Amino acid sequence: MHISNTTVTRRTMLMLLAGALALLGIVTMSGWLAESTRQYSQAVGRMTAIRVAAGTLLSQLQDAEIGQRGYLLTGDRQYLKPYEAATTAVDDTIARLHGFAEGEDAVASDILDRLAVLATAKRTELAETIALMETGRRDEALAVVRTGRGMRLMDEARQALADLITPADAQLAAQLAAMNGQARMSRWVAALGGLFILLVVGGAVWIVLRYTRDLVQAQHAIQALNDSLEQRVAERTVELQRANDEIQRFAYIVSHDLRAPLVNVMGFTSEFDSGLASVRAHLDRQPPDGDDAAAAEARRAATEDMPEAIDFIRASTSKMDRLINAILALSRQGRRTLVPEAVSMQSLLENALASVRHQAGELGCAMDIAGPLPSLVSDRLALEQVFGNLIDNAVKYLDPARPGRITIRGRAEGNRLLFEVVDNGRGIMPQDHQRIFELFRRSGAQDRPGEGIGLAYVRTLVRRLQGDVTVDSVPGQGSVFRISLPKTLTLSPETPAHEA
Amino acid sequence: MKRDPQTVCIVMIEDDEGHARLIEKNIRRAGVTNEILPFTDGTSALAHLFGPDGTGEASAGRAFLILLDLNLPDMTGVDILARVKTNPYTKRFPVVVLTTTDDRQEIQRCYDLGANVYITKPVNYESFANAIRQLGLFFSVIQIPEAEG
Repeated sequence: MHISNTTVTRRTMLMLLAGALALLGIVTMSGWLAESTRQYSQAVGRMTAIRVAAGTLLSQLQDAEIGQRGYLLTGDRQYLKPYEAATTAVDDTIARLHGFAEGEDAVASDILDRLAVLATAKRTELAETIALMETGRRDEALAVVRTGRGMRLMDEARQALADLITPADAQLAAQLAAMNGQARMSRWVAALGGLFILLVVGGAVWIVLRYTRDLVQAQHAIQALNDSLEQRVAERTVELQRANDEIQRFAYIVSHDLRAPLVNVMGFTSEFDSGLASVRAHLDRQPPDGDDAAAAEARRAATEDMPEAIDFIRASTSKMDRLINAILALSRQGRRTLVPEAVSMQSLLENALASVRHQAGELGCAMDIAGPLPSLVSDRLALEQVFGNLIDNAVKYLDPARPGRITIRGRAEGNRLLFEVVDNGRGIMPQDHQRIFELFRRSGAQDRPGEGIGLAYVRTLVRRLQGDVTVDSVPGQGSVFRISLPKTLTLSPETPAHEA
Repeated sequence: MKRDPQTVCIVMIEDDEGHARLIEKNIRRAGVTNEILPFTDGTSALAHLFGPDGTGEASAGRAFLILLDLNLPDMTGVDILARVKTNPYTKRFPVVVLTTTDDRQEIQRCYDLGANVYITKPVNYESFANAIRQLGLFFSVIQIPEAEG
C-alpha cells in the first residue's frame, strides 16, 4: 500500500482542520453558555435586590403603621419613633426600586408608580391620624383607623409588591430553564465534539503511523536494492578485473610469442648477411667479365640490392622488437603490485630533474620547482616513472626557437593533489590531446626518436594510482601536463598481480 | 674427479628449430665440439634424461649440460628444471635457461629452482650470437660433474 506524500499531508491537514473546527464549536458553545450564565446571575442579583427592597418597603410601611398604632394606643410619643424613621426611609426605598426597575418593562414601572401612590396615601393616612391624636382628638383618629382605609392601603401595597415579584420570578424560572437547556446542549456539544476530535486526531495519528510504516518499508526496500546493487557492482568489478587480467595476460603472451619468431628473423638475417659477405668477397676476387650481364646482375644484387633488403629487414625487426617490448612493459606494469608509502614529491621531483639536468643544460633549458610541493602516500616507483617520462618529454620536445623553461607545480585540492609539468616547448595540436595518450601514437613532426610509448605508459601508471592525467597545450607556446592523484592511495583488496 | 670436457654432452631442449639452429651454429663457432642432443619437446627430453622408468637412473654416470627453453609446446621449461634439480641423478647437471622471457619474477623463480645461468635471447642478433659464443667458451672451461651413480 503506497500513499503519496501530498495525499497524506492533505488528509492529515483536513482531519486536523475538522478537529480544530469542532474545538472552535465547543469553545463558542461554552462562551455562549457563560454569557447566558452571566446574564442569569445578573437577573438573579437584580431579582434578589428587588425582593429585598420590596421586603424593606413593606416592613417600613409596617413599621410606620406599628409606630402609629403604638402611639394611638398609648399616646406616648415614644412609640412614634419607628413611624418617623420608616416614613423618611420609604421614599429612598421606592427610589431604589425604581432604580432596579430602570429600563425594565412598563408593567413594573406602573406597579412601582402605584406603590409610590399607595405609600404616599398610607403615609397621608398615618400622618392624618397622628395629627388628630396630637390635637387630642383620639377618637377621631381611631375612627379613621376603623374605616379600614389604612388596612386596605396596606393590602394593596402587599398586592402590588407581589405583582412586582411574581412575574420577575416567572422570568427567572424561564431563564433558568433556558440556561439548563443550554447547559445540556453545551454538554452534548462538548461530548460529541470531544468524541469527534478524538476520532479525528486518532485518524490523523493512524494515517501518520501508517505512512511512517510505509516509509520504513520503502526504506527497507531501498536498503535491499542498495545491497543488491553493491553486490552487482562487486560482481561487475570482478568481471572487469577478470577481463583486464585476461587482456594483460593476452598482451603478455602475444608479445612474448611474437618475440620468438623475431629472434629467428633477426638471427637468420645476420646469417644471410654474413653469407652474403663471403659471396661479395668471392665476387670481388673474380675479375669483372665485361659483358656478362648475368654476372653484373649478380654483383649488383650482392653489393646493393641484398644489403639494402637486409637493412630494411633489420630496421623493421628492431622496430617491431621495441613495440613488443613496449607492450610487454605496459602489461608488466599492469601486473606489478603497488606499494603505497609516504613519498616526498619535492625530493622525488628534484631527483627526476637532476637526472635530465645535464641534457637540459646542453640545450640551455632552465628547470625549476615552484615548491614546496605537497607530499602524498602512493607507489614511489610508479610516480618516478610518471614524472620521469613527462620531464623527459618536456626536454625532448623543446622549441629550438627560444630558450627552454620547464616548471613543476603542485597543490592540494580537497582530497586530491594536482601536479603540473609546464614547458614552453613546441606544444601539441588540439586534435592530438587525447591521441598522444594512446599506445604508439605521436604528435607533430616525427623528428625525435621514440615509439609513442611514454605517455601511454604514464596514463596506465596514473590510472593505476587512481589518478588522471590531462594535457593543455597551445602549439608553438608550450604544454601543461596535469596529474591529479589521491592524497592517499588505498588499494582495494583486489586479486594480487598474477605471477608471470 | 675431473672429466674431460670433450665427453660432456649438451642437451638442448628448444622447440623452435630456428633458435636451435642458431644456437648450435654459434656454439660451434666458439669452437665447442661437444655432442649436441637436440629435443624439440619436453616429453622426449625428459624421457632421455630420466630414462624409460622415469627414475633418472639412466643418467647415472652421464655428464650433461642442459640448455633449456622455457616455452615448450607440451610443458613449461620450469617443470623440467624443477624435475632435473630435484632428481638425485640429474641435480648436478648445469642448466642454462635460454629464453625470450625477461620477466623478473620468472628469472627469480628459475634461480630459486636451481638454474645455473639464465640468459634472455636478445632480438639483436649480434648480442645473441655473442651470448651464445660466450656460453660456448664457458662450456669449454667449466667442469661438469658426473652424475652420481
